[in-house]
Amino acid sequence: MVEAFVTDTIVYASLFGLMALGLTLTYLTTKVPNFAYGSFVTIGMYTAFGLYRIQKISPYASAPIAFVLGAIASVSMYLGVLRILSKRGSSLVSLMIATLAVDIAFVGIFGIYSDYLTSRYAFIDSKQFYPIPDSFTLFGTAGIVYVAPISLGIVTLAVFLLLTQSKLGVAMRASVENPSLARVVGINVERVYVFAWFLAGGFAAMSGSYYVLWLPGGITGGSNLIVEIFAASVLGGLASIYGSVLGGLIIGASEVLVTKVALDRLGSWVGIYQKGIPLIIMVVTLLVLPKGLTSVDWRRKFVGTYSFVVSGLKLLFHSIVRLARGES
Amino acid sequence: MAIVPIIQLFGIDVVRFSIDLLTLYSLFLVVSLTLNFEAGYAGIPNFGKVMFVAAGAAAAGSASGQLAALILSINTHGNYNGYIYQLIPQIDAALSNNPGLSIGLLLFGLLVAAVVGAVLGFAASFPAIRLREDYLGMLLLASAQFFQIILSGYEPIIGGTQGIEVPNVFGWFFGDEIGVRDVAVLLVLGVFALLVFLYCEKVVRSPLGRTLRAIRDNEIASRSLGKNDVAIRRKVIVVASAISAMAGALLTFYLGSVGAETWTRVTWTFWIWVIIILGGAANNAGVALGAFSFTLLLKAVDQVKFNFQPFIPVDVNWLEYIMFAALLIAILVVRPDGIMPEKPTLTLPRTALGHIMESNANPAENERDEEESTKWTS
Repeated sequence: MVEAFVTDTIVYASLFGLMALGLTLTYLTTKVPNFAYGSFVTIGMYTAFGLYRIQKISPYASAPIAFVLGAIASVSMYLGVLRILSKRGSSLVSLMIATLAVDIAFVGIFGIYSDYLTSRYAFIDSKQFYPIPDSFTLFGTAGIVYVAPISLGIVTLAVFLLLTQSKLGVAMRASVENPSLARVVGINVERVYVFAWFLAGGFAAMSGSYYVLWLPGGITGGSNLIVEIFAASVLGGLASIYGSVLGGLIIGASEVLVTKVALDRLGSWVGIYQKGIPLIIMVVTLLVLPKGLTSVDWRRKFVGTYSFVVSGLKLLFHSIVRLARGES
Repeated sequence: MAIVPIIQLFGIDVVRFSIDLLTLYSLFLVVSLTLNFEAGYAGIPNFGKVMFVAAGAAAAGSASGQLAALILSINTHGNYNGYIYQLIPQIDAALSNNPGLSIGLLLFGLLVAAVVGAVLGFAASFPAIRLREDYLGMLLLASAQFFQIILSGYEPIIGGTQGIEVPNVFGWFFGDEIGVRDVAVLLVLGVFALLVFLYCEKVVRSPLGRTLRAIRDNEIASRSLGKNDVAIRRKVIVVASAISAMAGALLTFYLGSVGAETWTRVTWTFWIWVIIILGGAANNAGVALGAFSFTLLLKAVDQVKFNFQPFIPVDVNWLEYIMFAALLIAILVVRPDGIMPEKPTLTLPRTALGHIMESNANPAENERDEEESTKWTS
């Protein structure tokens, strides 16, 4: 049996990596922070909840359905709201408010859905529900502890292969880097953006359906996670897909581990401040490294430090040798 | 003893409806005017408005009750929140025949709220003057989320999710009947809203208002003209946050209680934005009109809702969410500048301009008119 905080860290970090990856995809294409992204996660939560409670389908089996539903929601939001507004030349702030509006509308839709579940199937916990029991265990730990990191690995690898090995991926990169130039060489930029939003909504809903295997979900379950998701994406630089995965891993892990240490040292009252950790990381990132982790040239930093240390050691060595020879 | 009349019209109590409508309107007006001040005129999109309103409410609710207990020397057993259900009736009884102390407590609560709001606004100004709109939006939204978690989790402030009761500072006003008390609240709120409106109008028509727009529209150009954009933006956030915290304090005194659940992102961030977009950003009259249309719509839906609820299987609140979200997006698509778009302000009244033009044409009268024109421009 592994310690609880280790499995917590693994699940939390992997899921936030997955969520941050999707958010970054939407930010890269439309350059708007998508406040409705948390609701895509909630779509996954409710898909898993509904199918498990009504049909006893395990969330692992319903994850693909969640993926498709989230993707459809995401694409319709992009086509139905954001593209219309940006074609009319709306400002960035208007687009941000529009995404907030979509989030509120989604909360309304989840409310109606949960009311429906309550009245039709008498699920009294449909507004706020406990985690769904895992369908398998391996070596004494729940299956999600293995599935979450493996899914993150597969998704990251697939996105990497897509972006580097396929024509569509190259077209995506081109559309993000320079949309007008991409149009000139005949890339259908709009279609590429739709595809990016499709993937983003899918990843969000998929992570949502995994999330409820580990933690409680509810109407605002996904919206409440946007602190962590945005923090992860900002930490990764908002412009780098791999950076956002790294950011999600760091945010998820530090939230669990720092809270664990604080709980042990200071007592149970610190538990409620758990969400302060991603917020603090976000503030520090914005003030110190506004372009995120991936903006730092780590190799140059490392080489610079290395040569600095080496020259310092040489100087020290020479002065010791001089002293030993009795020179002044 | 004054009694509020009851006039029935189509099964709706018109007086009751108007009082509720105007009370909510005054609150929405104040908060949306401050958001308009920040987002419309100064170009700082504040997506964490709920944080400032809730902070003012919590501070005023907690501080005024504790001060009242201290002044009336009521034994709190060293645990104000714990004994709140015994303390508040005692305080209310003492306040109902002590207008001086009631008004004093109200003003004290407003002052505390303003100070707390200003401090929070000052803290928020550090990222607000550095970050781009999208980063700032994310940060403020996330901060507001965290702030609400603290309010609901940290019990010493307002007793966590349970909330605390707040002294009734309107009890002395013609008795304690429900209708009469609401009229008293409406008077206070209406005066407050009017003052805030006049203040905002005054500021945006002053040289400072024009500087704000200059900074919003072209930061570099205004900087090259020697305007200190950082200091001015900071001032705007601090003032706007202080005023919205005071609005929160007033709502707390009206409701008679304050809890972490009272303040939701939907009502105090999203709906305020709907009002601004509906009325027209950077136009105070537009925002006033937007706030009124929105509040009327909200209250009308509330009225209809309870008549139709039995026929609809779902909670009508959810339909309300979807309806207002759709309304906002529709406005953004159809009329992005709102009902009343921003207008260039005429800086001088026409008569003063006429005098200046005349004096230019007729130099003999220069002396008298120069006095006049400096009076207007200074």
